[in-house]
Amino acid sequence: MDLHLISELAQATPAQDVAQEYGRKAGKAIALGIGAGLGTIGPGIGVGYIFGKVIESVTRQPEMKDEITSIQWLGFALTEAIVFYAFIFGLIAFFLG
Amino acid sequence: MRARVLALIAPLALVLLSPTSALALNINENYKPQNEFRLDPWINIHIGGIDLSINKAVFYVTVACILTIVTMVLMARKMAAASATARPGRMQTVVEGYYGLIQNITQGNLSGAMVRKWFPFLATVFLFIWFSNMLGYLPLPTNTEHKVDIFGVHIPSFALFAATANISVPLVLTFIVVGSYHYEGVKAKGPVKYLKGWVHAGVEGAAAIPIFFIEVISHFVRIVSLSVRLFANILAGHLLILFMGGGLVVLLNLSIIGSAVLGLITGTMAVAFFIFEVGLVATLQAFIFTTLAAIYLGGAVAEEH
Repeated sequence: MDLHLISELAQATPAQDVAQEYGRKAGKAIALGIGAGLGTIGPGIGVGYIFGKVIESVTRQPEMKDEITSIQWLGFALTEAIVFYAFIFGLIAFFLG
Repeated sequence: MRARVLALIAPLALVLLSPTSALALNINENYKPQNEFRLDPWINIHIGGIDLSINKAVFYVTVACILTIVTMVLMARKMAAASATARPGRMQTVVEGYYGLIQNITQGNLSGAMVRKWFPFLATVFLFIWFSNMLGYLPLPTNTEHKVDIFGVHIPSFALFAATANISVPLVLTFIVVGSYHYEGVKAKGPVKYLKGWVHAGVEGAAAIPIFFIEVISHFVRIVSLSVRLFANILAGHLLILFMGGGLVVLLNLSIIGSAVLGLITGTMAVAFFIFEVGLVATLQAFIFTTLAAIYLGGAVAEEH
């Protein structure tokens, strides 16, 4: 399921009317843009929340800094990955839809 | 301060003042960004209908494997030699940092004999993913589609590709992790008790059935999330670098002024994204994969969770 395979599968579908084809392309591009764009909102808030909380906890308990830092990156990576779920499903919709 | 503001405003002013034809969109249909990830067979091997051709991805996996093995062996040799002399060298500092990281991951999430048992596996997985991610940011002459002619010699153009930017490598790693934690769980508790352990301790009676099914789904979602997280992070990083580092300029096919302005903006962003990817994402994704593998392994054998 790499990018090329997805696009090849998409090209296998027979082309219809030219105008309809462009309409489909436009629709898919808009869908990918809006879908992936909206998908970044939630993780954006989440990542900001994580770093905000980290600053808060480190200022409260500076001696816990090392422990908090390692959990911080775990939380950051888990949250950040959600952007890419939206992006990947957007790409699947774009190339397969 | 004024110079900085000018430098920021100048490209915008150029775009606004340039003739309208500079911004006219005539998208370059010949350029296909997804071909950057196409796997052309270098050596065709077909055995019983299965395509086992050697291609770019195979090359990257092999190099990552060799690097992992060589590093591991070198580390062991050097450490054995270093223990004879008292003075710690530069190599020892690096190895101790690496060892300490894996130790944190294993001891924080596993218990008792499990730490000793799974430490080598997790350390290797970390190093393998790290090497495959980092190799992805080295431009290597692997793009056989576009060849560069230098003094009559056709050499493939330099391209970025990573083994982990293809779903199959993270998926196989995920299957290994998922298989081993189920195996450990069944071995530690027995199949019936292991399945019962999926339902949390407080849940009793009829409520346990839907909870059990939710847990079954969550174990399948783990396969998707663990593999897609690594794959999508690296793929998206590569796409960002590809588009910012010239792909967008080629694709949009603006006039000379438009291309120059766009190129300046996206080129700067490409450098920033490249540093972000190399400095943070490559190591962080290897760390995350290893940590989650350790958490799953620990959770499978834990008495209650």
